[in-house]
Amino acid sequence: MNHQRALTLLTAYADGQLGPIRRMLLRRHYDRCPACLARLEALQTTREALRTKMAVHRAPPGLASRIASALPREPAPPPRQPSRLVWGFGASGLAGALAGVALTLMLVPSPDPLVSDVVADHVRSMMADHLTDVLTSDQHTVKPWLSARLPLSPVVKDLAPEGFPLVGGRLDYVQGHRAAALVYRRAKHTINLFAFAAKGPEEAAPSLHTRDGFNVITWRMDGLTYVAVSDVEADQLKDFVKLVRAN
Amino acid sequence: MTDDARTRRFELLAMPHLDAAFNLARWLTGNHADAEDVVQDAYLRAFRYFDAFRGANFRVWLLTIVRNAFLDWIKDNRSSRLVFQSADETIEAEPDPQPNVEAMLLERVDSETLTTLVEQLPAEYREVLVLREIEDLSYKEIAAITELPPGTVMSRLSRARTALRKAWQVQEGRS
Repeated sequence: MNHQRALTLLTAYADGQLGPIRRMLLRRHYDRCPACLARLEALQTTREALRTKMAVHRAPPGLASRIASALPREPAPPPRQPSRLVWGFGASGLAGALAGVALTLMLVPSPDPLVSDVVADHVRSMMADHLTDVLTSDQHTVKPWLSARLPLSPVVKDLAPEGFPLVGGRLDYVQGHRAAALVYRRAKHTINLFAFAAKGPEEAAPSLHTRDGFNVITWRMDGLTYVAVSDVEADQLKDFVKLVRAN
Repeated sequence: MTDDARTRRFELLAMPHLDAAFNLARWLTGNHADAEDVVQDAYLRAFRYFDAFRGANFRVWLLTIVRNAFLDWIKDNRSSRLVFQSADETIEAEPDPQPNVEAMLLERVDSETLTTLVEQLPAEYREVLVLREIEDLSYKEIAAITELPPGTVMSRLSRARTALRKAWQVQEGRS
């Protein structure tokens, strides 16, 4: 390759934008041309300085939620009436209130609010940098970190040998409850495992739900509600839940 | 798809690139507050045209919109310092007399100084440097974002790096 051509392609060469044959031909020229080699070295030093020292600006913390709140959304399902309102209606009002409940149930074909809520949490957690507060694969770090911040002590296991490595944990809210969120990976997929204290039976068997392409498994264990959410296949999520529940 | 599902799908695709979008906007506008405005505008536009996205690379598509939002922002906030200068792309850059000496000096530059030097370059240089050195995009991807031929991306990058070395040399000569 002639010198002028090699000089013109120097930038593309340093940027790794050329195919293997052109790279080889250029390399052969640069090795024998001190003028080109000096330029190539200068270029590489410049690139190195830029790549390692140029400021990288991160989005400010509130920006994601400001954008999210500007996007159109269907109104959230109406919250259940607080019980004290029902009491206030007295005997005659109670029938009306009950009729209202029946009507609501008929009009809204009961999308389980818990399932919608955790799917939304899962999606939010995938936004820039909200996945984990404590980033570690060590269950012995995650567990004390969580119990120092929450009045509950959920099961924390690293399931890396079984193909579900623990990535970290964070604090979250699910239906108004403070919740522990444990983050696991399955290949390139993320599994969020939420645990929180809500009223209910001590134990309840797992049940599978599907919403917007996400699989959700809920169950109760030791008086806590557990919810696993992910876009992995339902069977894989079932395996994951089996492992979490195993003693 | 319901509005909700569409919104969620958009968030899944777009939110992981928020830092990249903000970084580009911050480098182009030169300040935090304007960068936030540009990014917010860009995300709402992206959501509006979301159904038209057919490409393979969502980040490239989104950064194109950030850049366009920035160009419109300039029109609304005319500031001569920020307007893209139209450099003559056909003529080869002046060869540096001693490129390796300047570059060796650049090896010792601290992060703050280097950032200031890049900030003082014209926007058309800053954007190719950000897209290449921070976002690690290919010439083809940068060409798509900046609406330039790939050959022009190459010469512009070359000029940008030379301009940086010269600016550094001037600064060193002054101090």
